[in-house]
Amino acid sequence: MNRDPAMVRNIGISAHIDAGKTTLTERILFYTQRIHAIHDVKGKDGVGATMDFMELEKERGITITSAATYCEWKGYEINIIDTPGHVDFTIEVERALRVLDGGVLVLCSVGGVQSQSITVDRQMSRYKVPCIAFINKCDRSGANPFRVIEQLREKLNHNAVAMQIPIGIEADFQGVVDLISMKAMYFDGPSGEQIRLEEIPQGLRAEAEARRESLIDAASMFSDELMEAALDEKVTADVLIDAIRNGTLARGLTPVFIGSAYKNKGVQPLLDAVTHYLPQPMEVENFALDMENGEVEKKLETDFSKSLVALTFKLEEGRYGQLTYIRVYQGTLSKGDTIVNSRTGRKVRVGRVVHMHADQMEEIGSLPAGYIGALFGVECSSGDTFTSPGTRYSMTSMHIPEPVISLAIGPKDNKAQVKMSKALSRFTREDPTFRAYVDHETGDTIISGMGELHLEIYVERMRREYGADVTTGIPQVAYRETITRQADFNYTHKKQTGGAGQFGRVAGYMEPVKDEFVFENRIVGGSIPTEFISSCEKGFKKSIEKGQLLGFPVTGVKIVINDGQSHPVDSSDMAFQAASRRAFLEGYRKAKPVILEPIMKVEVETPTEFQGAVMGSLNQRRGMILGTQDEGNISVIEAGVPLAEMFGYSTILRSGTQGKAQFTMEFSTYRQVPKSVADELIKKAAEEKKKAA
Amino acid sequence: MSKNNLIPTNPLKFIKEDAGHLLGDGQFGAILAGAGEGKTSFLMHLALDNLLRGKNVLHICLGQPIKKVCLWYDEILHRISDQYELNNTNVMWEMILPHRFIMTFSIEDFSVERLEERLNDLTEQGIFFPQIVLLDGLPFDKTEQSSLIKLKTLTKEHGFPVWFTVMIHREDKVEQPDDIPSPISHISDLFEVILKLKPAGREINVQLIKGPKLDKVL
Repeated sequence: MNRDPAMVRNIGISAHIDAGKTTLTERILFYTQRIHAIHDVKGKDGVGATMDFMELEKERGITITSAATYCEWKGYEINIIDTPGHVDFTIEVERALRVLDGGVLVLCSVGGVQSQSITVDRQMSRYKVPCIAFINKCDRSGANPFRVIEQLREKLNHNAVAMQIPIGIEADFQGVVDLISMKAMYFDGPSGEQIRLEEIPQGLRAEAEARRESLIDAASMFSDELMEAALDEKVTADVLIDAIRNGTLARGLTPVFIGSAYKNKGVQPLLDAVTHYLPQPMEVENFALDMENGEVEKKLETDFSKSLVALTFKLEEGRYGQLTYIRVYQGTLSKGDTIVNSRTGRKVRVGRVVHMHADQMEEIGSLPAGYIGALFGVECSSGDTFTSPGTRYSMTSMHIPEPVISLAIGPKDNKAQVKMSKALSRFTREDPTFRAYVDHETGDTIISGMGELHLEIYVERMRREYGADVTTGIPQVAYRETITRQADFNYTHKKQTGGAGQFGRVAGYMEPVKDEFVFENRIVGGSIPTEFISSCEKGFKKSIEKGQLLGFPVTGVKIVINDGQSHPVDSSDMAFQAASRRAFLEGYRKAKPVILEPIMKVEVETPTEFQGAVMGSLNQRRGMILGTQDEGNISVIEAGVPLAEMFGYSTILRSGTQGKAQFTMEFSTYRQVPKSVADELIKKAAEEKKKAA
Repeated sequence: MSKNNLIPTNPLKFIKEDAGHLLGDGQFGAILAGAGEGKTSFLMHLALDNLLRGKNVLHICLGQPIKKVCLWYDEILHRISDQYELNNTNVMWEMILPHRFIMTFSIEDFSVERLEERLNDLTEQGIFFPQIVLLDGLPFDKTEQSSLIKLKTLTKEHGFPVWFTVMIHREDKVEQPDDIPSPISHISDLFEVILKLKPAGREINVQLIKGPKLDKVL
C-alpha cells in the first residue's frame, strides 16, 4: 500500500436500479486486476458479479448491501463502495456518500435520468460530493447519450459536458472519441483490455471538434489559464484537464463519459477520469465536533501523525464476528492501538485491520488518514466516531431518514422466536433505517423501514440467514379514544355473596382535557375515606387502558370525584376500584366518546407532470393537502393523511408515477375519525370480538 | 372567544365593515409597503379573516417553502390567541385548516399558465376550490402587464379576487401621497383597491390609495 493520500481516491458508484453499476464495478475490478474473470450480474455461469456477494442479491440481480472494495489503477489506490440503486435502500447510498470524496453517477443511455438518479443526485449535493457521470449501455437499442446529457442539464441542473463522443451507437457501438487527446479509442481483446488508439473517423471529426469547443468553453470558466490558451488557440491537454478538475471539484462542472460496461467498452477511460477529476482526500474539507469544547467545529487534517479521528459507516455480521467499515479522516489506525468510541466513551483495542474486497479480505497493518477499511471484533454502532484517547471528537451525524412503513411479524414457533430476535438485533444495528419494537398495546413485534421491499428483504434474510420462519401481517393502527363533552357519573358497587361484602359509591364527572389523564379529588367531609382515594384513581386509570368503542386506550380525560359513600366493614380497595371502573363506564357512555386516529405528515416528491395524480391519490386516502411546492421540474406535496390509509401507498405511488415519485411520512397528531369510518371500525371490532368469543 | 368574535380583529374592518367583501370576484387588491413594513403580516390577517368566515383561501407564495408559510400562520394565530386569551385555538385551527391551501413556487418558475395548471389539478379532482387568492412575493418590476391581464381573466373564470403584496423601494418616492408608486403605477387600472402601509412608531398607518375612500390608523 502506498502512503501518499494524493494517490488515493474514495469513490462511490451510484445509480438507478439496473443502470449497470454492478457490472461496471465488476469490469473495474477486472481491469485493475483484482479479479481475473468477469461474471455477469444475472450470469448464466451461476457465479454472479463479485460485488453482489449476498445470495439474495445474486438471485434478484440487485445490490442490497454496499460492498466496499479497493483496487489500484496506474499507481492510484481507488476505494470503491458499490451502492444499491433501489429507492428503498437509500440509507446505503447516504452512508456511502458521507464517507466518500467523489462519486460516479451511472446513467443508462436508454433510460436516461430516472427517479433514483434524481434522489442520488440530491444526496450527492447534500454531502457536496463532486461527481463525474458515466452513460452506460450505449450498445443498447434506443441508446442516446446526448439526450441523457441534456437530461442531466435540465432535470438535475448539472453543467454536464461530454468528454467523449461515441463511435457508432446501439448494436454498432465500437468505441469512443476522446475529446481531450482527440483520438479514437477502441477496446480490443476478449475482455476489452487492449486499448487501440486511432485517428478520429472522418465522419466524426466535425462533431468531435464542435464538442471539444463546447468543452473548452465550459471548462474555461474555471481556469484563466485555459481561457487565455483558448484565445491563443494553444490549449494543451494538461491545461484542459486542470480546468475540468477545478470545475468538477467546485461542483460547477460534470464531465460525462460514455461506454458499455457489459461490452467492455469505455471503462478504462472512466478509471483515468476518476484519478484525474475526482478529489484526493485532503482536497475535501471534513469537520468534527469537539465534544470537550462545547461541540465547536474542528477542521480535520489528512495527516498521518495527528490524533486519530475515524468514522464507522457500516456494520456487517460475518463468520468471524462483527465487521466494521471505517473511514479514517485524521491520524492512523493501526493494529494493536487503543481507540475510544466517542459516543460511549468506551476504549477498544484494535484487532485486525483489513481491506475488503467484496466478501474476501486482505489483512493490512494500519489504515492511514484518507483511507477506507474494516475492523474486526469492534463492538459499536453504525455512525460512531473513534478517536485516540485524549481526543473527544464526533463527526457530524449522518442524515438518517425516518422509516415510512411498518409491518407486524411473528415467529412460527419457539425455535424461530430466538432466531428472529437474533436477526432483528443484528439488522437494527447494521441499518439505522430498519427498526424493530414490540407494540405493547397489541403485543406484536413491529418492524419498520424505508419501504415494502426493504422490509420484505429483511424478512427473507431472516428466513435464509437465520432460518427464522416468520409470519407477516398488516400492523394494526394505534387508534385512541377520547370524550367530547362533560358527563356525570354516580355508581354504587354493592355485593353481598356471603362472607365479607363489597361496597363503594363513587360520584363526580369527567370532561375532555389536553393532557392524557388527569384525576382530581374534590371529596369533602370524608364521604370516601382518604385511604380509598388512590383506589378510585387506580380504578379510573385501569378503565382508560381500554376504551369501550374499539378497545384502544382512552386519552384526554379529566376525572373529578366529588361525592361517594363507604361502609365501615364492606368497603375495601377492591370495592372502590370496581366502583370507579363502573362509574367510568357510566360516564363514558354519556360523554360522547369518539375514536382518534394517527395522522401522518406525508411529503411526496414528484416530477411536476404527476402532481395532479399524486394529489388525487392523497385526496382519495382522506388526506388533507396542506400545500404544494414547485421546485422547477420537481414538486413537493405536503399533506396530513391517516396512517390507516397509507399502507400499500408506496406501490400505488410508484405505479401512478412510473416509479418517479417518492414519499416520506412521520407521525403528526391524533385526529377524530370521521363518523362513517368510525362506524365501520366499531362494526369490525365487534365482529372480531364475536369471533374471538 | 368564538370564531365569530375573532372576525372583527381583521385590520381591514377600519376600511370597510365587512372586510371580506372589499374585493369582488375577478378583482385585484394590492398591499404596498417597503421591506419589513408588514406586508406579509397584513396578508396573514386577511387570510385568517377569510378562513374564519369559512372561505377557502389559496395562499400563493413565491420564493418561500411551505414550512415557512405555515410558520407565519402559526405565529399570527399564536399572537391573536395570546392577545384575546383564547384557549381553544387548536380546535378552531382544526376547523379552519381544511379551508387553507398553500402553493409555493420559485420566482423564476412562476407563470400564469403554471398556476392555471395547478388550479385545474385542484378543482377538476374536487380537492380545493379557492374563494380568495393571496399572492405574496410577485416581482412587479419583472412582471409583464400581459401576464397580469391573463391572471385577471383566470380569476374571473374561477370567480375569486386576488390580493397581492407589492414591495416598494425608497427610490419609488411619489410626489403626492395619493400617487401610486412606480412598481404598479403603469398597471394601476388593473387594481380595484390599493393600500399602502406606512410605519409610524409602534403603529402602522394604512393608507387607501385606491378604492372606497377612508383613511384610518391601526
